[in-house]
Amino acid sequence: MEDFSKKLKDAELLATRSGGSRRDFMQLAIMTGLSVSAASAMFSKAEAAETPKKGGTFRIGMEGGSATDSLDPRTYADSVMIAASLAVYDSMIEFDNAGNPTGALLESWEARPGAVEWIFNVRQGIKFSNGKTLDADDVLYSIGIHRGEDTKSPAKGILEQIIDIKAVTPSQISITLSSGNADFPVILGDYHLIVVPNGFTDWENPVGTGAYNLASFEPGVRLVFENRGDYWIEGRANFDRVELLNIQDVAARTAALQSGQVDAVNRLDARTVDLMTGNNALSIVRTKGTGNRFCFVSRVTSPGFENKDLRLALKWGIDREKIINSVYSGYAVPGNDHTLDAFNPYYNTNMPQRAYDPDKAAYHFKKSGLSGEITLSTSEGAWGSAVDCAQLYQESMSKAGITLNVKKESADGYWDNVWLKEPFCAVYWGRRLSADQTFTQVYGSGSDWNDSDWRVPAFDRLVEEARVELDEVKRKEQYFECQEMIAEDGGMVCFAITDYLDGYSSKVKGVQPHARYDLDDNRIASKAWFA
Amino acid sequence: MFRLIITRVFLGFATLFAVTLLIFAATEILPGDVASAVLGQGATPDTLAAFRIELGLDRPAYVRYLEWLTNALQGDLGVAMTNKREVLDTITPRLYNTLFLAGYAAAIAVPIAIILGITAAINEGKWIDRAANIVTLGAISVPEFFIAYILILVFATNLGWFPSLSTVYSDMGFWQKIHVVALPALTLTMLVMAHMLRMTRASVLAIMSQPYIEMAFLKGLPRKRVILHHALPNAAAPIISVVALNLAYLIVGVVVIEVVFVYPGVGQYMVDGVSKRDLPVIQACALVFGSAFVLLNTIADILAILLNPRLRHPR
Repeated sequence: MEDFSKKLKDAELLATRSGGSRRDFMQLAIMTGLSVSAASAMFSKAEAAETPKKGGTFRIGMEGGSATDSLDPRTYADSVMIAASLAVYDSMIEFDNAGNPTGALLESWEARPGAVEWIFNVRQGIKFSNGKTLDADDVLYSIGIHRGEDTKSPAKGILEQIIDIKAVTPSQISITLSSGNADFPVILGDYHLIVVPNGFTDWENPVGTGAYNLASFEPGVRLVFENRGDYWIEGRANFDRVELLNIQDVAARTAALQSGQVDAVNRLDARTVDLMTGNNALSIVRTKGTGNRFCFVSRVTSPGFENKDLRLALKWGIDREKIINSVYSGYAVPGNDHTLDAFNPYYNTNMPQRAYDPDKAAYHFKKSGLSGEITLSTSEGAWGSAVDCAQLYQESMSKAGITLNVKKESADGYWDNVWLKEPFCAVYWGRRLSADQTFTQVYGSGSDWNDSDWRVPAFDRLVEEARVELDEVKRKEQYFECQEMIAEDGGMVCFAITDYLDGYSSKVKGVQPHARYDLDDNRIASKAWFA
Repeated sequence: MFRLIITRVFLGFATLFAVTLLIFAATEILPGDVASAVLGQGATPDTLAAFRIELGLDRPAYVRYLEWLTNALQGDLGVAMTNKREVLDTITPRLYNTLFLAGYAAAIAVPIAIILGITAAINEGKWIDRAANIVTLGAISVPEFFIAYILILVFATNLGWFPSLSTVYSDMGFWQKIHVVALPALTLTMLVMAHMLRMTRASVLAIMSQPYIEMAFLKGLPRKRVILHHALPNAAAPIISVVALNLAYLIVGVVVIEVVFVYPGVGQYMVDGVSKRDLPVIQACALVFGSAFVLLNTIADILAILLNPRLRHPR
C-alpha cells in the first residue's frame, strides 16, 4: 500500500509541476490502480493551480562550468554557459518538450520544395537590453560570427551547408543551402546560435533579448542575473534575480540542495538519488534516456567482425537490463543498437527492443563458424564505468558459451589510440541535433567518425532521400528503415542511454523533462517559478 | 650570519628562476594543445589552424618563454587563451581567497599543533601524549575529502550550523567569510596538525637527550622550565621548517578541498586551466604556487638562522 501512495504522490507531483502531459499522468495514476475517470479529474485539479508567480531569488547549482568560461557563444561547450546564455540571450529556434523545433526569434519558416531554399520570419517588436529593436540584420550578424574562414566557432561545421544568406526585408531572411535539408531549422537551434545586435563584440557586457540582464560574472564561480522586465514570452522570466553557481562536485551539489543553499541542481548521482526521493522538501525530475549513449562498437571491416552472425551474437549476448540495474542503478534505458533516443520524433517505435537471449547469441555464434576468444578493448577513459559494463558483458556472453576477453586500455589517449583503431571497443556518443545528423555523423559513409566502419551505399541513399523529404509520413518510414538497417546489420552494440536527473526544492514549479537537455533544456532561469 | 641570509635569499631567487624554466618546459610537453581542447568536437582542421595562429602557438618556444618571463617580471601574466580575460585580474582575487583559507586554517592549526606538541613532549608517554597522537594521526589517515564530507554531513546537512558551500564573494564581510569558510578551514586544520605536532614533539624530545639538558636537570630545574627555556630554542629550526612546509601545503595542495567546498581558490583555476590547456593560466598558477613554496621555505630558513642560538652568538 505504501508503494501505491508513493506512486500516486509522484503522479500528482508530475502534474502540479506541469511536469507531464495528461497521458503521462494517467499512465502513472492508472498504474497505481485508480480508475481512468478519477485520474483524469485529478489531473485537471492539479493542473488548475498553475499560473506562474513572479518574484524571488532563484539559485541554481550546476556542473559543467569552468574558470575559463566566457559569454562569447563561439566558446560554449558545457551546461553552465548554455544555461547562462539562454538567460541573457534568446535563441533563433527553440524546442518543445517533445523535441520538435518551435519558433523563437525566428518565429516561423517555410521551405521551398527540395528544402534547399528557406525563408525565415524574424519576430517583430522584440527589444534588446540596449533598447535596439530586433531586425533581420541582427540575425544575419549572429549567424555570420560562426561562419567564414577565420572563425573558431564549433558551429562552423553545421553551418557550412549555407551557401547564401540574405535579408529579403527587415523582417525576413532567405537562406540557400548547398543541398536540401528538411531539418535545417533544427540546425539553427544549436546552442551556439544566439542573437546579439548587429556588430556586437563586447562579450564581457552582453546585450541580448533574453529575460535577464547580466549583473556579475566570475568564471567558474558564479553568474548573477537580474530581471529586465517585460519579456516577450508570457509566463516566463519569473524571478527577480537568478544566481547560477558552479558546483562541479556531485556530492557538494547534493548537499547544497539538501541544506537549502540552492533551489535546483543538475546531474544528480544515479547511485544516491534514491536516498533523496523520500525527502518531501525535494523533488527529482528524471528525463529518461536522453543522456549519453553507451556502446561497444565493432569495426565491421576487421577480421571476424565482417561476419554478420558474429555481430548478431554480440548484440543478443549482452544483458542490458543487468548492466542498467547494477551500473546505473536503473537510471538508464536500454539502447536498441543505434544511437537515436526515444525522444527523437523519428525514433522507431515498431522495432522490438532487443533483450538478452543467450540461446540466440549461441546460435548466431555457431552459425558464424568462428571460434576462440573475442577481444573487447575498454577503459575508464571511454567513460567512468566502461570497465564495469565490459565485465558484466563478459559474464553474460560466457552464459552463451562465448569467451569475451576484456582488455583494459590506458585512459590517457584512449580516443586517439583505441577508438577508430581497435576492432571492438567501448565508445559513447552524445545526442545529436537531428536524426539526419545522427545517421550522417555516426553511420554515414563519408563520416570520419563512423566508428563501426559500416559503410553501406543503400543506407546513405536512404538518409539523403529522407533529408529532403518534406512529407512527414514518408520521412518517418525512411528513418524507421535506417534504424532497422543499423540495428540488424551494423557493428554497434548500443546497450544503454542514460537519464538526466535534476533535483529541485519542492517550491520550484514549471520545470519538466525536456527532449534536448536537462534543467528543462537549460532554460530553467526563464521557465521556472516559485510556488 | 648576514652572509648566510644573503646567500639564502639569492638561492631563493635562483630556485624561482629554475622553477620558471620548469613550468614553461612542462606546459610545452603537455599533450594536446589549447586549440583542440577548447574547440573539442567542433574542431575542424580549418578552425584549429585559425585558433593556433590567433594564439601565437606557431612561434618557437624560446621566443615565447622570454616574452612570458619579461612580461611576468613586469606583473603582466598575459590574457587567458580561452575567455580572453586578464589572468592577473582573475588570479588576484583567487589568490586572496587561497591565502585567506590558508591563513584561517593556519591560525587554528599552528598554535594548537605546537602547544599540543610541546605538551606531549613534556608529558611523554602519559595519556595526553597518547591522545594527541591518536587523534591527529587518525585525522590524516583518512582521505581529506572523507573528513570534508563527514563535516558537511554533520555540521551543514544535519545541524545546519555552517553552509556546505563555502563560496566567498567580494561583497561579503570579514566575519561572514569566517563563518562561510569554517568547514574547509576545519578540514585543513585536521590535515596539517599531525605533521606539525609530531615534529614539534620529536624535535623537543631529541634535544632532551643532549648533555646540556641533563646538566639543566642536574641543576635542579623543573622539567617544564628545561623544555621551554633550554630545549625549545634549539628545537626551533625543524619546527619552523615543518610549519613552513605545511603552510605551503595549505596554499598549493588544497584543490580537493576547493572542489568539495566549492571554494574559488587558485587550485581550481589551475585545474580548469590544465583541462582546457590554457597555457597562460597554467603558467601563472604554477608561478604563484612555485613562488609561495620558495618564499615560505626561504623565510623558514632565515628564521631558523636567526633563531639558532649558536649562529646568533658566534664564538
